[in-house]
Amino acid sequence: MNPAVHLDGITKRFPGVVANDDVDLAVERGSVHALLGENGAGKTTLMNVLYGLYEPTEGTVRLDGEPQSFDSPRDAIDAGIGMIHQHFMLVDPMTVWENVVLGNEPTTWGGLRVDKEAAREAVVELSERYGFDVDPDAAIADVSVGEQQRVEILKALYRGADVLIMDEPTAVLTPQEVEELYGVFEELTEQGKTIIFISHKLGEALSAADDITVLRDGVNVGTVAAEDVTREDLAEMMVGREVLMEPATTPQEAGDRVLSVSGLDVDDDRGVRAVSDLSFELRAGEVFGIAGVDGNGQSQLVEAITGLRELADGEIHYLGESLSGTTRRDRIDRGMAFIPEDRQERGLVMSYDLTENAILGSQHDQPFARGGRLDWSASRDHAESVIEQYDVRPPDAAAEAEALSGGNQQKFIVGREFERDPDLVVAMHPTRGVDIGSTEFLHDRLLELRAEGKAVLLVSSKLDEVQGLSDRLAVIHEGEFSGVVDPATVTEEEIGLLMAGETPDDDSVEAASLHEEATDQIAGDPTADGDEVDA
Amino acid sequence: MRNPIADLSIPILDDLIESDYTRSLVVGVVVVFGLLGIVGAAFPDSVAGDLAGIAFSTSTATSTARLAAPIVLAGLGGIFAEKSGVINIGLEGLLIISAFVSIYAASVVGIGNSVLGIPALAVAFLAGIAASTALSAVFAVVCIEFKADQIIAGLAVWLIALGLAPFLSRVLFGGVNTPNLGASVGWRYFAALVVIATLGSWWLLNRTTFGKHLRASGENPKALDTVGVSVSRVRYAGVLLSGVLSGVGGSALALSIGQFVGSGETMVQGKGFIAIVAYLFGNYNPLGTLGAGVLFAGLDATQIRLQQLGYAIPDTLVQTIPYVVVIVVLTLVGRTQIPEAAGEHYETEE
Repeated sequence: MNPAVHLDGITKRFPGVVANDDVDLAVERGSVHALLGENGAGKTTLMNVLYGLYEPTEGTVRLDGEPQSFDSPRDAIDAGIGMIHQHFMLVDPMTVWENVVLGNEPTTWGGLRVDKEAAREAVVELSERYGFDVDPDAAIADVSVGEQQRVEILKALYRGADVLIMDEPTAVLTPQEVEELYGVFEELTEQGKTIIFISHKLGEALSAADDITVLRDGVNVGTVAAEDVTREDLAEMMVGREVLMEPATTPQEAGDRVLSVSGLDVDDDRGVRAVSDLSFELRAGEVFGIAGVDGNGQSQLVEAITGLRELADGEIHYLGESLSGTTRRDRIDRGMAFIPEDRQERGLVMSYDLTENAILGSQHDQPFARGGRLDWSASRDHAESVIEQYDVRPPDAAAEAEALSGGNQQKFIVGREFERDPDLVVAMHPTRGVDIGSTEFLHDRLLELRAEGKAVLLVSSKLDEVQGLSDRLAVIHEGEFSGVVDPATVTEEEIGLLMAGETPDDDSVEAASLHEEATDQIAGDPTADGDEVDA
Repeated sequence: MRNPIADLSIPILDDLIESDYTRSLVVGVVVVFGLLGIVGAAFPDSVAGDLAGIAFSTSTATSTARLAAPIVLAGLGGIFAEKSGVINIGLEGLLIISAFVSIYAASVVGIGNSVLGIPALAVAFLAGIAASTALSAVFAVVCIEFKADQIIAGLAVWLIALGLAPFLSRVLFGGVNTPNLGASVGWRYFAALVVIATLGSWWLLNRTTFGKHLRASGENPKALDTVGVSVSRVRYAGVLLSGVLSGVGGSALALSIGQFVGSGETMVQGKGFIAIVAYLFGNYNPLGTLGAGVLFAGLDATQIRLQQLGYAIPDTLVQTIPYVVVIVVLTLVGRTQIPEAAGEHYETEE
C-alpha cells in the first residue's frame, strides 16, 4: 500500500539558503509521525511545502501515491491536508461553530445567507464522531486553550482533511491538556486520519508518535520507530553530537540570605488576589525553583519581586534591606537581573537593534552613559560580546530584535541579563522556545552563576528544567505554595499532584479528578470569582 | 455592576439586539421620551411643555429625519469599513463630495427632465453615490494596496472633499454655494431609506457569509486568509460599502434642500464625524447607530426649534453634545468592542 503522504526528494532553496536538501518522508495512513529537529532545521519549511505555501525547488509531493502539485494552501486543503498552526487562527469574539465553518459556510438563499442550523449540526456531528468536548455556541475567547486547539482540528476535519499537520501542538498546552491531545490523536488515527506534528521536544515525540523523522540543517538524518529509540539517541540525532540530558548539579553550601519574602500578597490586574501570604528565602549560591501550571500567580510573584507590580501586603527584603518604596531602577542598580516571561513585550524593544537592546537597563551606567550621552561604540562592543558568547544568530549587532527568531531573542536576553554581574537572577521560562543545544548551554551558564555564588529564582513550566536545576523546588497553586520539595527525590507524579493543589500522601485522590481540577483551573473564567472580590 | 435596564427582557428587542449595552440604550431613549411626554402633557406651559411640544411636533420629526439621514447612513457605512479592519474617518469627506455632485448632476440634467427615463432627482442621487464610492475607492486603494496610515488617508479624504467641492462649485456655479434648484426630495423617502438601510445592514452583518467574513477580517485577518478567503477583497468591499452608504446620505442631505452650501464647513457641518460617534455609541450595531443618529439629530432639531421659540441656547454648545456624550459613555460604560485588527495592515504570506 502506498503511504498516505510521501515527500519524495524535496529540496527547497531560498536565496542563499538551502532549507530542505533532498528530504524523503513517508507517512503511513493512520499513524502519528513526529518531525523532530532544532530551530531552523527546516521542519516548518518542509511542512509548508506539503501545505502548498511553498513550491519545492525539486522533488515531488505524493498523496496515496499520486503526485500532486499545489499552487496554494487552497489546493492542499482540497486534496485533504489540514494545517493547525502553532498560533491558532481563530476569531476570538466569534463562536466555535462560526469559526469551524468560516470560509466554507453552508448557505441558503443562493449562497447569501448562512445556514446556522446546518452549520451547528455539522460541528456537533463532527465533534461527537471524534469524541471532542466542545460547546458549539461558546465564544472562542471564553474557552480554554486546549479547547481552542480542538476547534482548530475540527476546522481541518470540516474541510475534509485526511492528513493533519500540527505545528508544535503542545507549546501552549498544560501537561493535562497535552494528555488530552494524545487522546485526540488516538481517536483520529483510529478513524483513519494521519497526523504529522512538528516538534523540538524529545519527550513529546517519544510518547505521542509512532514514527519519528529527525531533520538537521535541512537534511533527513533518519526515520525511526518511537519504540526503538531513547531520548539520548534522538538528542544526538538532532544536535549531531552527544548531549548531556541531565544538567550536572553539584552539591554546594548556600551562602548569605539574598532575598527574603514574607507574608506576600499580590493582586492581579483585575484586583483579584493572585499571590497570598507567600513566604520564602533565597540564599547566595542557590537555585530556588518554582513549578506550577501557568496562571497560578507566578507572573504576579515575579513582577512584585522585580518591582513591576505593587504589593498588596507583606515585605520583600533584598540583600538585607527592605525593597518597599524602591523602584525598578533601584533594583537593577543593586544587581537584580530579570529574564521576563514575555520576551517581546518586556525583554526587548522589537524595533531597536541589538546594540540598543544590549544596554537596556544599563543605559544610566558606565561605560555606556557619558554625561547624558550614550557611548555607542562601548554599547556595540557589549552587544557583540553577548552575541558571541551566547551564540545569537544572525551575529549582527545592527540587526533589529524583530529580525531574530524567538529562540535567538531569548538567548540574547538571557545573555544580557547574565552578563550584568547580578547578585540575584529572576528567570522566568529562561529557555522557552530555545532549541536543546542552546538550552544545554543556558543551563550550564545558570549553574556557573550558581557556582559563582549568585542566587537564582527560577520559574518554569518545564518540569524537567526546574527539577534538574533547582536546589529547592516549590510548587505553586492558586497563589500559594502547595509544597516545597527536594527536587532530587521528588517524583514527577508527586509534583503533578502538588500542581493541582493536592497532597501527594492522599491515596484517595484519583488521577481523573486531578485531571479535571487542573484543566478547570485554566479553563475556568476567573472573573466569576472577581465579582465576589469586587463586592 | 449590572445595568438594571439591561436586565429588562423585551422579546423583539432581545432577538434583534444581542448586546445588553445597545438594548439599554434603546430602552433608555424610549423612557426619556415617555417621561418627557407625560411631564409635558401635565405642565404644558413649562419648559418641559415646550420641549414636549417640540419633541412631538411634526416639524421636529421631519427635521430630525432630515438631519438624521446623513448621520445614520454614513454611520452604517463606517461600521462596514471598520468591521473589515479599515477605520474610515473620511466619512465627512464622502458626505461633502456626494452632496455637491448630486446637486451638480441635478442641475446638469435639469429638474423635470430625465435621462433614459430616469428622473433628474434620481440621476442626481445615483451621481452622488457614484462620486462618494469613487472617492472611497481611492481611499481603499491607498490604505489596502499601498498600506498608507488609515487615519492620515481618512483625513486626506475629508480635506480633499472640503476643498474640492466649494472650489468646483465656484468654477461651475460662480460661488461656493450653488443656486437652489427649487425642487427637493421629501423627508418620508429619507426616513424609509434610513430604516431600510439599517435593517439591511443588520441582516448583512449578522446573517450572511459576507458579514462573517467582514467580522473575521477585522478581528483576525490571518484566520480568514488561512481558510482561503481574500482579506483584501473583503476589506475593499467594506470600504466601498461605506462609500455607497455615505453617498446615499450626502445626496439625501443636499437633495432634501435642493442646494449645496459650500461656505465654512459646508452644509455637512461635521455630520460625518458625528456618524463615527454614532456607530461607536451604537457599538457597531446598525440598530444602535440608528438610535444614536436619531438622538443626535433630534437634539440638533430641538435646539433649532428652541432658538425659534426665543430660548437663547448657543448652538455651538449643543453641537458638542454628541462628542461629550460619547466620551462619557466610552469612559463610564467602556463596552464598545473595537475590532482587534482595526487600523492594521494585513499582508498575506502567499
